[in-house]
Amino acid sequence: MQRVKNVDYDEDELYDDDEEYGADPEESYSQEDRDNFAALIPVVRAELEEAGSRASNKEIQNALWNYYWDVGKSDAEASAAAADGEKQEKPKSKFDQAAERSARDIADDFEDAASMLLSMAWFRDVPWILPPGRQDYLVPATPISRPRLLGGSSKLAKLAEERRKKAAAASAEGSVANGALSSLDRLTKPKDFKENEAPSAVAEPRKYPVRKKREPTPPPAEESPPPPPAEPEQEKPDLRASPTAFARTLSASPNQDILPAATTLSELLGSGQSEDPFQGPSPDDTLISHLYNTGPTKPKQTANGLTKKTEALKLDSAPPQPKLRSKGLDVPKLWAEEKAKRKPSAAFVVVGHVDHGKSTLMGRLLLDVGAVSQRDIDKYQRQASELGKASFALAWVMDTSTEERERGVTFDFAQHHFSTPKADFTILDAPGHRDFVPNMIGGASMADMAVLVVDANQLDSGMKGQTREHILLAKAVGLKKVVVAVNKLDAARPAWSQQLFESVQIDIRKLLAESGFADEDIKFVPCSGLSGANVVNQPKASSPAAWVPKAHFTLLQTLERSIPPTKPTTQETIKQPLRMQIIDVFRGSVTNPLSVAGRISSGNVQNGDVVTTQPSGEKAAIKGLEVSDEPREFAVAGQICTLHLSEIEAQHLRSGDVLCSSQHPVRVARGFTALIELLDSLLPQPVDVHLGRLHAPGTISQLIETVDGRGEQLKRRPRLLKAGQRARVRISFEEGVPLAVGEKIVVRSAGVTAAYGTVE
Amino acid sequence: MRLIKQNIERKTGEGSAVLLPEEPEDMWHAYNLIRSNDLLRASAIRKVINESGSGSRSNERVHTTLTIRVTKLDFDPQASQLHVSGRVAEENKHVKLGSYHTLDLELQRNFTLEKSEGWDSVALDTLKEAVNQEAKAQLWAVIMKEGLANICLVTDHQTILRQKIEYNLPRKRAGSTDHEKQMQKFFQTTFDSLLRQLDLANPKPLLIASPAYTATQFQSFIKAQAASGANKQLNNLLPKITVAQSASGHLHSLNEVLSSPAVTAKLSDTKFARETQLVDNFFTLIRKEDNRAWYGPRESEKAVEQGAVGKGGGVLLISNGLFRSQEIKVRNRWVKLVDEVKEQGGEVRVLSSMHESGRRLESLGGVAVICTWPIEDLDEGEVAEEEMHEDGSVNENGDWDENGDGHGVEGRVDHEEDIDFL
Ligand SMILES: Nc1nc2c(ncn2[C@@H]2O[C@H](COP(=O)(O)OP(=O)(O)OP(=O)(O)O)[C@@H](O)[C@H]2O)c(=O)[nH]1
Ligand SMILES: [Mg+2]
Repeated sequence: MQRVKNVDYDEDELYDDDEEYGADPEESYSQEDRDNFAALIPVVRAELEEAGSRASNKEIQNALWNYYWDVGKSDAEASAAAADGEKQEKPKSKFDQAAERSARDIADDFEDAASMLLSMAWFRDVPWILPPGRQDYLVPATPISRPRLLGGSSKLAKLAEERRKKAAAASAEGSVANGALSSLDRLTKPKDFKENEAPSAVAEPRKYPVRKKREPTPPPAEESPPPPPAEPEQEKPDLRASPTAFARTLSASPNQDILPAATTLSELLGSGQSEDPFQGPSPDDTLISHLYNTGPTKPKQTANGLTKKTEALKLDSAPPQPKLRSKGLDVPKLWAEEKAKRKPSAAFVVVGHVDHGKSTLMGRLLLDVGAVSQRDIDKYQRQASELGKASFALAWVMDTSTEERERGVTFDFAQHHFSTPKADFTILDAPGHRDFVPNMIGGASMADMAVLVVDANQLDSGMKGQTREHILLAKAVGLKKVVVAVNKLDAARPAWSQQLFESVQIDIRKLLAESGFADEDIKFVPCSGLSGANVVNQPKASSPAAWVPKAHFTLLQTLERSIPPTKPTTQETIKQPLRMQIIDVFRGSVTNPLSVAGRISSGNVQNGDVVTTQPSGEKAAIKGLEVSDEPREFAVAGQICTLHLSEIEAQHLRSGDVLCSSQHPVRVARGFTALIELLDSLLPQPVDVHLGRLHAPGTISQLIETVDGRGEQLKRRPRLLKAGQRARVRISFEEGVPLAVGEKIVVRSAGVTAAYGTVE
Repeated sequence: MRLIKQNIERKTGEGSAVLLPEEPEDMWHAYNLIRSNDLLRASAIRKVINESGSGSRSNERVHTTLTIRVTKLDFDPQASQLHVSGRVAEENKHVKLGSYHTLDLELQRNFTLEKSEGWDSVALDTLKEAVNQEAKAQLWAVIMKEGLANICLVTDHQTILRQKIEYNLPRKRAGSTDHEKQMQKFFQTTFDSLLRQLDLANPKPLLIASPAYTATQFQSFIKAQAASGANKQLNNLLPKITVAQSASGHLHSLNEVLSSPAVTAKLSDTKFARETQLVDNFFTLIRKEDNRAWYGPRESEKAVEQGAVGKGGGVLLISNGLFRSQEIKVRNRWVKLVDEVKEQGGEVRVLSSMHESGRRLESLGGVAVICTWPIEDLDEGEVAEEEMHEDGSVNENGDWDENGDGHGVEGRVDHEEDIDFL
C-alpha cells in the first residue's frame, strides 16, 4: 500500500546524509523538512517524558508521520491524483508549524501540540466539502473503529486501547475523549480503517436502549439463524446485523396480511416476476443462501452490477461478507399495478406562528383518530402538570424532546403517521418560533400540502410574524394546497364567535392570495385543538359552536378532501434516477445501527440497492427499508421513508446530504444562478441558503439582472434588489453543495427570509 | 510588533524598517506589509552539503541571515504563520545568488523590510497600525446552533476560525433519548475543544451566540462543568461569558452579533465593532436606496473623482485584500484612491479582510463609499468594465484578481456553466 511505502521512504530519507543540495526550490523544501522533522523529535520526546511517557525515536516519528499523513491524505483526495513530488513538498509547512509552535508553546503537552498541528493543517488545506473535511461529524450511531495510528506498541495507542476497554466509560468515550485522542479520532478517516490490515477490534458498545418501536414483526432474535461461524464478528461489526434484518424482512412479510404492501407485493411477485422469493425456500434457507452467496438465482438487474463494483472496492483481505442482493424488482411497474389497492395518501406540514396551537391540534387529531391512546395523554397530563405546563399535554405527542417539553415550544418538526379508513397521512408538525424557521423549511420541503394554524384571538402577532413568513415559505417550497385551521375558537370572546371566524378568514384569504395561492386551493376550518371541537368530531348541537357543522367540514374531513391528486407525472418521476435528501441520520435500532430518513423526490429504491451519497461520494447498500414505520420492499418518489444502510461509515452522512442513484449521482456545486423573488432587499452579500433540510452559508456574488413576470430583462446588473422584484443572481458556496436544476431554494439573511426561487 | 529602527524617507518612501514580531497577530501585519518584489532580510536555517576532498559528503545545518527578493507569500491564519518565498538577493558563503529560499518569519526575531517601489501611504499606515502598542482587544466567540459550533478568536484585525465542530445530531423521535444524549456529547466536544484554546488562568471575554436557546444551553453546560469542581479554573471563565442571539450558527452571523447593542455595550469600543457598524451603516443607507451609498471599484472611483467623498461625511471603506494584489499597478490604483479621499478630507477605513465586516465588503467588490451628496446613476454605462469583478469573490489569501482570469478559489467560478460543479 502506498501509505506504508511512503512511511518507509521517508524514514530512510530522514537519516540520509547523502542528500543533494540543489537550487531547485522543491528540493530545498524537503531538505528543510527533514531538518525540522529532526528538530521536532527531541521536542516531542521532552514533552512526552515530562508527561511520564517514554517512546522511541521511531515511535515518535511514526506518530508524527502518521498524524501528518492523515491530514495530508485529505489533500490527496481533494486533488484526486496528487503527485509524489507534491507529497514531498507538503509536509514542509506542517512540520514547520509543529516545530515552531512546539518551540513557542513548550509548556503545552504533546497532545495539545498534536491536535493543534492537526487543526492548523485542517483549516488550511482541507476543502470542507470532501469527506475528510467532515471528520468532525461525530455521528453517534456507529462507534468509529479507529486505526492504530501510533503503531501497536505506542503508549498513546495503548492508552487509547485501555480507554476503549472501559465498558462503563465507553459511551462517553465514543466521541469526547479528551486531548489529542479525540481530535485524532475525529481526524481519522474511515478509509484508513479499511486500508489498515488489522483494524482494532472495537466491540460495539451498547450505547442506546433498544428503541421501543411498534414492530409488527417478531423480535429479530427469535427468527434469526445463528450467524455463520466463519464470520469473525468483531472484524466487521457493522455487518453483524445483516442476518437479522433479512430474517426479519423475509420471514415477516408473508404473515402480514394486515399490511397492504406486503400482501400485494407477494401477489404481484407471483404474477409479475418469474420467481417468487416467498414461495421457494424457507426464509431461513434464503437467508443462509444469501449469506453464503450460493442461493437460488434471483432475477437480477442493474443493481447487481453495482453491488459487484462496491465489492471490488473492498479490501482483498476482508473476510467473505454476507452480500445484500437486490431482488431487481421492477418498481415502477409494481407501483402502477398496486395503484388500485392504495389509499390516497399525503404528508402535510403544520405551519403558523409560535403558540398558535399547532402541536396541540395535532395531538388532538391523533388522539381522536385513535393513533394515540388516552392513557398516553393522561400520562403526559400528569407529567406536564409537574412542570407547570399542563396545557401542553396534547402538544407533547409532537414535542417529544426534553427541551421542547420544558419550554413548551416546538424546536424541530415532528413526524407522525396515521391512517383513516379513507387515507394515509404523515403529519409534519413544524415549529412556529422564528429561530426555528430553518427547521420549518426542512419539514415543509417534505410535504404535499400545508395546514396553516391561526390563533383566531392572536391574528395580528402572526400577521407580522411567522403566519406571514410561513405562508411565503410554503409557497417557496412549492406547496399549493392549504388548509387553514382557525384555532382556539373556544377561547374567543364570545366563545365560537362566528363573526371572529369570518373576519380571520377574510384576512388570511387575502394574505394567501397575495402570496400567490389560488382560491380553490384554500380551505378554512373553524376548530379548537384543545377542546377537540371540529377536529375529528363535530361540535355538539347544544354548544355555541353549533353553527359550525352547518357550513364546515371537520379538520379531518377537510384533510381527506384536500389530498392533492396524484399527477400523471408521478409515474414518470418514479422512473427517474433516485434522489432523496437526508433529513436525519440516526440509529434505527440495534440491528440497524445506521439509518437515514427523508422523502424520495425522484426515482425509487429497493432493498439491496447500492446508492451513492453526495457530497461525500460514498456508496451505501440498502439493507432495510420502511415506509410509515412498516418494512417494505421498495419505496418510490413522493414517499417519506427510512432506509437502513450498511457498508458505509456514519461520517459520510449528514442531514442535508443527498442519497442518489450511483449511475446518475446528483452533482456537487460551488455556485449556481437562481431566479428569485425578492421579499426583502439584497445586495451582493453573505446569506443563508436553505434547500430543504440543507442550510448552507453562501454568498450572493453577483446581481445579474432584474426580470419581469415573463423573465425578460428589466435591468442589467442592478445595484440593489428590492422587495417585490424578480431577479437572476449568482450564489456561491464555500463548500460544495449537492444541487440540481429546478430545485427550490430559500435565501435568508439576518434571520429574515429575503428571497426564494429556483436553481437554474 | 515593535519597530526596532527605520530609515524611511518621508518624501520618496525609500528606505527600510527593522521590525520585531512579538505576538501571533504580528504575522498578519507582516503579511499585509510585505509585497512581491520587496527585499526581506531575516534569519534562516539552511542545510549545506560539504564535500570533502575524499569525495564523501556531510550535511550541516547553518544559521545564517538571508536577504531575498520576495516572489510569494503564504499566510496561514489558523497558525499565524507567514512563509515568504523568494530568490536570494545577497550572496553569502552558504548560498548562491538567485537560489530559492523560503523564509519563515518567527516571533521574537527581527526582520528587515525594504520596499521595491518605496513605502506608499497605505504601507505607512499599515506599518503604524502594526507597531501600535496600545492594549489590544481580543475575545473568543462560539457561534453555534444544534450540531454546529464555530470557535473563533476575534482580534482587532482578524477573526480566526480555530475549530469548526460539526456533529450529526439525530432528530427527536418518540420514545428515544438519542437526541438529548447526543446533544450533551456535542456540548462536551465543543467544550473540550474550547478549553484547548482558552487560557483559563487569565481568560479573555467569551461570547457565545446562537439562534434560540443553544447558546444558553451551552452556557449552562459550562456552568455545570464548573460546578462539578473538576476544573477549578473554570470559575475564572464564568463571569467572562456573554450570551447573545444570532440569526444562524454560521460564522457570518458573527457580524450582526458583534454589532448588536447588547454586545457592543459589553465589549467596549473595539476596532472590529466600529468596522462592523460602518459596514452596517452602509448597508442601511443603500437599502434605503439612498444615492449617497455606492459600491464597487468603478463606482467608488467615479464618486471620488467627482469629489463626493470628501469633507463632511465622505467615507471610503476599502478591504485590505485589495492592497495585497500581486500586481503593483493594481495596488497603486487603490493607494491612489485612498490618497485622494484623504486629500479631499474624507474618512478612510481600511477593513480587514479577515473580519466578517471586511468579508461583507469584499462581496461588494472590496470597496464602497458614502458620499456627501447623492449621485444619480453612477453605475450607468459601465457594464463592460464591471465584468472583471463578476463573481465578487476573492481567493483564500484575500488577493483580488483584477484581470478576471481565475476569480478567487480555483474552480469556484466558471462562467460557462450555470452551475459550477466541482
Ligand atoms: N384555549 C385554547 N388554547 C389552545 C388551543 N390550542 C393550543 N392552545 C394552547 O396554546 C399553547 C401553545 O400550544 P402549542 O400546541 O404548543 O402551540 P404551537 O403552535 O405548537 O407552538 P410552537 O410549536 O412552539 O410554535 C398551549 O398552552 C396550548 O394549551 C385551543 O384550541 N384553545
Ligand atoms: Mg408546536
